[in-house]
Amino acid sequence: MPPASQRVDLAAVRALAPPLLAVLLAFGVTGILIVAAGKNPLLAYWSLAHGAFGSWDRIAVGLNRATPYALTGVGIALCFRARVINIGGEGQLALGGLAATWVALHMVPAPRPIATLCALGGGVLAGAAWAGLAAGIRLKRGVHEVLATLLLNFVGLLIVSEVLQGDLGEPGSGFPQSPLLPAASWLGRLVRGTDLHVGVLIALAAVAVGHVALWRTPFGFRLRILGASAPAAAYAGISPARALMSVMLLSGGLAGLAGAIEVLGVHYRLIDGFAHGFGFNAVAIALLGGLNPLAVLPAGLFFGFLETGAVAMQRAVGVPTPLVAVIQGLTMVFVLSAMGLTAGRRRV
Amino acid sequence: MTEFLAATIRIATPLVFTALGGILSERAGVFAVGLEGMMLAGAFAGVITAFLSGSMLAGIAASVLGGAAMAALAAVATTRFRAEQMVTGLAVNILAVGLTSFLLRGLLGHGEAPTIRVSPLAAMPVPGLASLPVLGPVLFSQPVLTYVALAAAVAIYVFLVRTRPGLTLRAVGENPAAAFAGGADPLRVRMLAVTCGGALAGVGGAVLSLQQVGTFTDAMTNGRGYLALAAIIVGRWMPFGTLLACLLFGAADALQLRVQGLRLPVSSYVIQMTPYVVSLAMLAGFGRTAQLPAAIGTAFARDRPSS
Amino acid sequence: MLRMLGITKSYGSVRANRGIDLVVPPRTILGLLGENGSGKTTLMNVLFGLVRPDAGTITFKERPLADHTPREALAAGIGMIHQHFMLVPAMTVTENVMLGWDAAGRWLRPAAVAEHIRTASHRYGLDLEPDARVGALPLGGQQRVEIVKAILRGAELLILDEPTSNLSPPEVSGLLDVLRRLRDEGRSVIFISHKLGEVLAVCDEVVVLRDGAVAGRARAADTDRAKLARMMVDRDVSAPIAREEGAAGAERLVVADLVASDATGVERLGGVSFSVRSGEVLAVAGVDGNGQAELVDVIAGLRRPTRGHVFVDGADVTARGVTGRRQAGLAHIPADRHTTGLVGDMTVSENLAFRDCDGPPFRRGPWLDFGAMRVAATERIARFGIRAGGPDVAARTLSGGNQQKLVLARELTRRPGVLVAAQPTRGLDPGATRFVIDEVLAVRASGGAVLYVSTELEEALVVADRIAVMYRGRFAGVMRRDAVDITRLGLMMAGALSESPDAAALYGRKAR
Repeated sequence: MPPASQRVDLAAVRALAPPLLAVLLAFGVTGILIVAAGKNPLLAYWSLAHGAFGSWDRIAVGLNRATPYALTGVGIALCFRARVINIGGEGQLALGGLAATWVALHMVPAPRPIATLCALGGGVLAGAAWAGLAAGIRLKRGVHEVLATLLLNFVGLLIVSEVLQGDLGEPGSGFPQSPLLPAASWLGRLVRGTDLHVGVLIALAAVAVGHVALWRTPFGFRLRILGASAPAAAYAGISPARALMSVMLLSGGLAGLAGAIEVLGVHYRLIDGFAHGFGFNAVAIALLGGLNPLAVLPAGLFFGFLETGAVAMQRAVGVPTPLVAVIQGLTMVFVLSAMGLTAGRRRV
Repeated sequence: MTEFLAATIRIATPLVFTALGGILSERAGVFAVGLEGMMLAGAFAGVITAFLSGSMLAGIAASVLGGAAMAALAAVATTRFRAEQMVTGLAVNILAVGLTSFLLRGLLGHGEAPTIRVSPLAAMPVPGLASLPVLGPVLFSQPVLTYVALAAAVAIYVFLVRTRPGLTLRAVGENPAAAFAGGADPLRVRMLAVTCGGALAGVGGAVLSLQQVGTFTDAMTNGRGYLALAAIIVGRWMPFGTLLACLLFGAADALQLRVQGLRLPVSSYVIQMTPYVVSLAMLAGFGRTAQLPAAIGTAFARDRPSS
Repeated sequence: MLRMLGITKSYGSVRANRGIDLVVPPRTILGLLGENGSGKTTLMNVLFGLVRPDAGTITFKERPLADHTPREALAAGIGMIHQHFMLVPAMTVTENVMLGWDAAGRWLRPAAVAEHIRTASHRYGLDLEPDARVGALPLGGQQRVEIVKAILRGAELLILDEPTSNLSPPEVSGLLDVLRRLRDEGRSVIFISHKLGEVLAVCDEVVVLRDGAVAGRARAADTDRAKLARMMVDRDVSAPIAREEGAAGAERLVVADLVASDATGVERLGGVSFSVRSGEVLAVAGVDGNGQAELVDVIAGLRRPTRGHVFVDGADVTARGVTGRRQAGLAHIPADRHTTGLVGDMTVSENLAFRDCDGPPFRRGPWLDFGAMRVAATERIARFGIRAGGPDVAARTLSGGNQQKLVLARELTRRPGVLVAAQPTRGLDPGATRFVIDEVLAVRASGGAVLYVSTELEEALVVADRIAVMYRGRFAGVMRRDAVDITRLGLMMAGALSESPDAAALYGRKAR
């Protein structure tokens, strides 16, 4: 009988198999599509990889792109663990960016780290509040959190668009965006000379904290029990309402943080539509990571690099960039099917 | 004013088809989150086929198949493989955006986005009725698919309330065990409902691409699928209520397009928010006694009697 | 009309039906009496085609019935009214009747079906309004919808399984009237119950099952409650396990006037008061469904009572929830170890800790102390003799007996002052059963107070110092073990002794 530590690793490896297979299957099916479009799939995938990893610059962009995915994905993974479905990440992220912008613009005299930290904090609070609103509606009025988060998602996005037309907008720019944020609030560069910003470290920290929280704290333990069996959770004295609210606030805060990072580290202003695609893709990433915070990191990287490589792939081989969305969508469907099939055998 | 009303109906038409399709799916117990993707697939299939074949009818038929195909993928995953309904719908939406844009460029444009032009369906005035003072231009001078949409609402209503398959479908969405005890196969019913719902959503997409603009642009559905979900909620999962909700949302959209000209004190974004806020309010207002099908979102595990 | 001969069915080592003969003539209401586990449900499942017997024949209306499905049984004319209705609450009576009824056609004609419903309703006194929403009907009304469904499909033999468990007294007499009219119109009814009063009131013949075999038959007119009760529960009281006899000490568990409803709002506990002393086991016997589950849930903190209090060692824990009760020294072995008592996918050590994860020893600061959990698990595996691969195997890989040992290990290690055990030996083999009983008696010997809820009368008799019988949400009576009168017990369990003039107060009623 192998020692306990080895047995646990085996289970972790076995847990990775379905997502990996799903990814491979998705690449395979997409390869067929590439052939149907008259191109060489191997060449296409090679240029995809090259575009993603070919240079330090490219890697930096990929890591930047992966950051909001990983952050939001961790929160959603924790939600799913407690059987809470939060698909409003996009709206929470957008409002986080909005809050960060507002704070940054109004804290003009503040020096470097303070301005940034306050703006990031604003983002966390805004995202958490928006998710908390959905949670409150769920708890007080019995509305399924899927519907509540989905509907509030669009409202949140529209709020951002609305605000950009008014107070926070930059008149005369011809495009809905805020004025450039003061340099004191910008996220610093991690590696001089590249676009890679400090946000990637924040994402790493969030992944680590998420992992530790889920597997090593009583809070995470309670989430796992709640997700495994509602009667057992009641028997253990766990309050489902409190767990739902905590996990929604947490994931909303993480999404808001991601939005703030995008604004402060990539765009340096609030741009209409900057949140596009993050929310739903983060759900995919959480699933791809098997609802394990640690595995959300490679999943987020996968999505991030996939998207950066796509542009190069189009330029080099002529395979259109939307192919990436095909891979993402197919991967999701396959992972979900695998999860549905193996529902009884997952590590809880 | 007449112009505004006519625009309302015009804008509402794609919503009506999509929402009706969503009703079929949700009444059978499956959240119709994937409507956006099914609609988009139908829009694409429709306009491409019409372009290549020159026949509008072929295009419409293709849109049915396109929507149904996307739906079938979701249906199989959720019923056969017990994939989580909501998230599979999201996956279908992501997939549809990528697939349609990719095929547009890959199959037709040789890597670049081609311009496809099809002359949109012309208005088909109903002889006699079209010359009525207000109703004429508003109701009776619309293109053919709009008339079909209104007929479809009636058909879906009759189907759900007056036929045995419709009764069974509703039972599956409320209490699959009871339906099973009555001899139905809940899994099969759900699969059919989702696929037919997708077919309808596909026609909704065709309204966009064939009837309204005559071309296909990336992700042209632009969130209408989710708006249809909201319409279903406001319409209380009933065909006529949903029809009214779609008209309401169409009016809101028509209004926000005209807000500049009309100098209203409300911004267009706020108007765009109202459908979602209203649906949320309706859900919250009814809370736990909401009218949504009781078994929606739950999987059905068949207990085989020992043999 | 119906002839079942030599029906035998075993589930593994459990012999549910042992060569049962059952004959039902036309125009008869036959009562099928028995406790839990007597074989009534299995027998009816065999008849209805839900289960295939190992041996035996069935003849219905001169035609054999074998290897049949429920649809075929329905087609032959057998209708079953289950305890849990197969209805769609959001739909009307008419729609529910049309569901699954092919004769109603492809294009539904609700008006015609409604007419049929009205006719049948009038004929049998069912009092059903076809356009009423089923969800809005009281449970008795819903039951009558099931009956009208069966009648309209041409059922000539109706099987009703514990039909009065959810009914109020006026609804019960209404149902009995309906059954009489059905009989007078030429149909037959099999009335499954454990309630002597009702059985004697409406049945023409009675068959009593015990332990999978027929314990007696009688014509209702020729028998009485005492005889039937004796047939139901007659058994040798096995030699009790040697135990210390001593005067019980202070009251450790006190329950005062508990009133509670189940999840649908029907009142299930109608005012229960009792106490259990240190060094004493109070067994609660009775047929399932008389409020035992609600009683356990309220005492254990899983359900809030509408009224009443629970005291553990003098402290009022009523509002304190599960954690508060645990801190006060109350341990709970739940009836369902698979979904409630254990989390199957978690490891043995996690299961041993999951009720106590918020303090020492399993929590150190903000962290869970897995080392401490594992050490505790290893120690308990050894002490309780749990056969498991180690502390890190998933709980669902253990056998039923070992799973229950796991639950016991968790609950008993803390030397509880009060132990609430609900059906603790359900599904266990004799060896594991013996283990559980020994552990319960050990708690008693060390001064704890035990509330032992079980449908197994033998077990209750072995373990208890006092036995209470629950019927219709109340204690029908309490007896000291050395003064047990089996007939009295049976009568209490079958509701015969508790039917006093103010019986209405005892019955479940919708608490809104």
